[in-house]
Amino acid sequence: MGLKSGRIKYPFILPSMIWVLAFTIFPLIYSFGLSFFRVRLGKPATFIGLNNFIRILSDYKLGNSLRVTLMYVAITVSIQLVLGILIALLFHQEIKGKSIFRALLILPIFCTPIAVGYLGLTIFYEEGGPLNSILMSLFGWKVPWLSNPFWAWVAVLLLDIWQWTPFCFLVILAGLQSLPEEIYDAAYIDSSSEWEIFRKITFPMVQPVVVIVLLLRLIESFKIFDVIYSLTGGGPGTATEVYSLYTYRTGLKFFDFGYASALGYVLLAMVMVVVNLFFRRVRQVYE
Amino acid sequence: MRKLLFVGLSVLVVLCLSVVYADMTLTNAGGESITFTDEELGTIITSGEKPFEGVTITITVNEGGPKGGISGPLYEWRDVWEKLTGAKLNIVEIPYAEHYPKVMTDLLTGTGQYDGFMIGSDWMGELVAGEYIVPIDKYMKDPRFPKWDPESLPPSIRTLYTWGDTWYGPLNDSDGQVLYYRKDILNNPDYRAKFKEKYGYEYNVPPKTWNELYDISEFFNGWDWNNDGEPDSGIVMHLKVGAQGMYHYASLSAPFCIMPGEKVDKYHNVYWFDPEDMKPLINSEGHVKALEFQLKLAKTGPDAQVAWSLGEAWDYFLRGKAVFTFSWGDVGSLVQDEARSKIKGKMGASILPGSLEVYDRSQGKFVTFETPNVWGNTTGGSWHGVISALSKNPEAVYHLLAFHATNKISLWNVQRGWTGVDPGAKFHFLPPYGTASLDDYVANGFNPDDAQEYLKAYYDNFFAPNIAPYLRIPGGNEYWVALDRHLSEAYTGQASAKEALDRVARDWEDITNRYGREEQLKVYQESIGYKAE
Repeated sequence: MGLKSGRIKYPFILPSMIWVLAFTIFPLIYSFGLSFFRVRLGKPATFIGLNNFIRILSDYKLGNSLRVTLMYVAITVSIQLVLGILIALLFHQEIKGKSIFRALLILPIFCTPIAVGYLGLTIFYEEGGPLNSILMSLFGWKVPWLSNPFWAWVAVLLLDIWQWTPFCFLVILAGLQSLPEEIYDAAYIDSSSEWEIFRKITFPMVQPVVVIVLLLRLIESFKIFDVIYSLTGGGPGTATEVYSLYTYRTGLKFFDFGYASALGYVLLAMVMVVVNLFFRRVRQVYE
Repeated sequence: MRKLLFVGLSVLVVLCLSVVYADMTLTNAGGESITFTDEELGTIITSGEKPFEGVTITITVNEGGPKGGISGPLYEWRDVWEKLTGAKLNIVEIPYAEHYPKVMTDLLTGTGQYDGFMIGSDWMGELVAGEYIVPIDKYMKDPRFPKWDPESLPPSIRTLYTWGDTWYGPLNDSDGQVLYYRKDILNNPDYRAKFKEKYGYEYNVPPKTWNELYDISEFFNGWDWNNDGEPDSGIVMHLKVGAQGMYHYASLSAPFCIMPGEKVDKYHNVYWFDPEDMKPLINSEGHVKALEFQLKLAKTGPDAQVAWSLGEAWDYFLRGKAVFTFSWGDVGSLVQDEARSKIKGKMGASILPGSLEVYDRSQGKFVTFETPNVWGNTTGGSWHGVISALSKNPEAVYHLLAFHATNKISLWNVQRGWTGVDPGAKFHFLPPYGTASLDDYVANGFNPDDAQEYLKAYYDNFFAPNIAPYLRIPGGNEYWVALDRHLSEAYTGQASAKEALDRVARDWEDITNRYGREEQLKVYQESIGYKAE
């Protein structure tokens, strides 16, 4: 009787509902409320209307963080995607020891980003670190990886690309492997150019998967925190201080929770705008 | 019969005295023993009652491990302290950059997860103003607790452990930056002659002014003066953002921008803010000149130092790759560790140099002094324990902290570089300045010349006539972080000295306004001893 009435489903979905409410919906609503208050722990919160959002407009430090974040997202996501597609195409061929290479390639995904940052500290160590030692022995010069703003940037980008390219590769490879063989058989009758086949058949067919990968990486990259926190701490100076790091410092280091919440919501709005624009464009293409 | 009675009584008296004044030898985790008198240990230990049986206290400390700075001594003496008191000690290590936020979160939310904290002294303003820690004066007079000697601290260090006349923490670390140099290299007659030929004068050992130090550092930078086959450096600093790099600037800049005077007023003995209105002084001409000088000086050291934290910079000096560094007391004792250091017995140390040109804000111009304007400093954390107001076991916490502050454990710590506990109390110094014994330092691995140089430098620094003011106001950590990040912009060429310090001033104004200018001003005035006329 109970099974038929369908009530039995509620106990099963209750834990996930509690989880979503407690850890997603409640913090979302609570932090939205906080963004309208001047909050200092230990002192009563004061309602200040939109002042935290107005403060964002005049916060000169935010401009740098935004610029750094946008550059970071644009560079890492595009390189990861291109490399992911190329490696996926390579692994879509018949090559010897493919399964071993594939297993090795996806290992970085399993590393904790914060640990990757600390690993980077060792790799990019300027005086006698492994990378500079190799460069010194091969070319007689070394790179100021962490002391120069430009090279610190490069170090962060390299680590992130190293860690997340395998994700792009893995998902795109799955997409490639799901493509029907018959189409290729027919295509090879009409053309022998691999590039033509890729451009006109493979890529259009795998494009929905690429779009999903792109979207996931875009969202994740906007939130980048761990690697930078552990590798450069946002430095040298403020050269690698991304938006999330700035928000974290504001909230959890200086306890300016109202302003940090407002910063969080601005990031959320930015990501939503980017994702929506992206979806709209994708929809236009497919319709 | 009378004689027998007298002998019997005498034996009884001797026995009683030996019970009352029995010495107790305690052995730490490393197997080293120290003998204490009953008075030093206090009656809680000597009575053997173990009043803290079943009590567990949790103390936070900078992450460092069982042989790390500040955390190490807690591990070293934990077993013996637990055995003597019956209490359990839970040590929570937190990375340096996370320590302050974690402690403040615990206190501000009222969680009370921790009973005590090994704090940096710059947190004190916030902790005292919020009444988050408890005064310890009543415990200090109580014979139940281990005895330590507050009178042995110079006023410069005492200030960091107190607020007004109230004590908040027993002695532990005494931080201040002094100049370390290679005595053997600077006294090399060939090098001295070449320097004179190039610069037209003979340098002092140690240099008396920062400009003289710059000349020497520039002279020695970029060539192989230690004959190891590689070019070496003039100076090395730890300038990484988020890794205490800003403390170098604080120590170096003082003589360029603090006008000495008989008392603290608007224009004298102030460094951070104008004591009348809390306007930042950090971008005043004196500060800009000091930072321009530091940027110039940094060019006489390794390029990588802008990404180096303490360990890397110290290591560079210990490996004999730089003539100068200026840093905390850890360096002097680490030099003695031959596993890490190649310069044992070659080290010189002194109070930091001064400046002949000082910015006088009352006149709005630089004035020239006949003798260098020298300032001692207490730059750094002077890391020490305080008791959380939320702790249910404040007596157990105080007992632990006082145990570590006893003269014998304190001296034991100071004589071992890895403990991170630096000398500051009179009983750490050698006669005629203090009561410690050179033989004792030598027995603990110090080169006798190094020990004398090192301890004299610290004595001169902490007992200097002028001591640079210390920042101890609410939001202190935020002010420091703002200074740190913008200094790093200047060190890495992202901003000029003026631009970087203007940004610091702007951030500081913002912080002051958020905390409330009037409240901040009141605490600031108290913290530097300013009294309005």
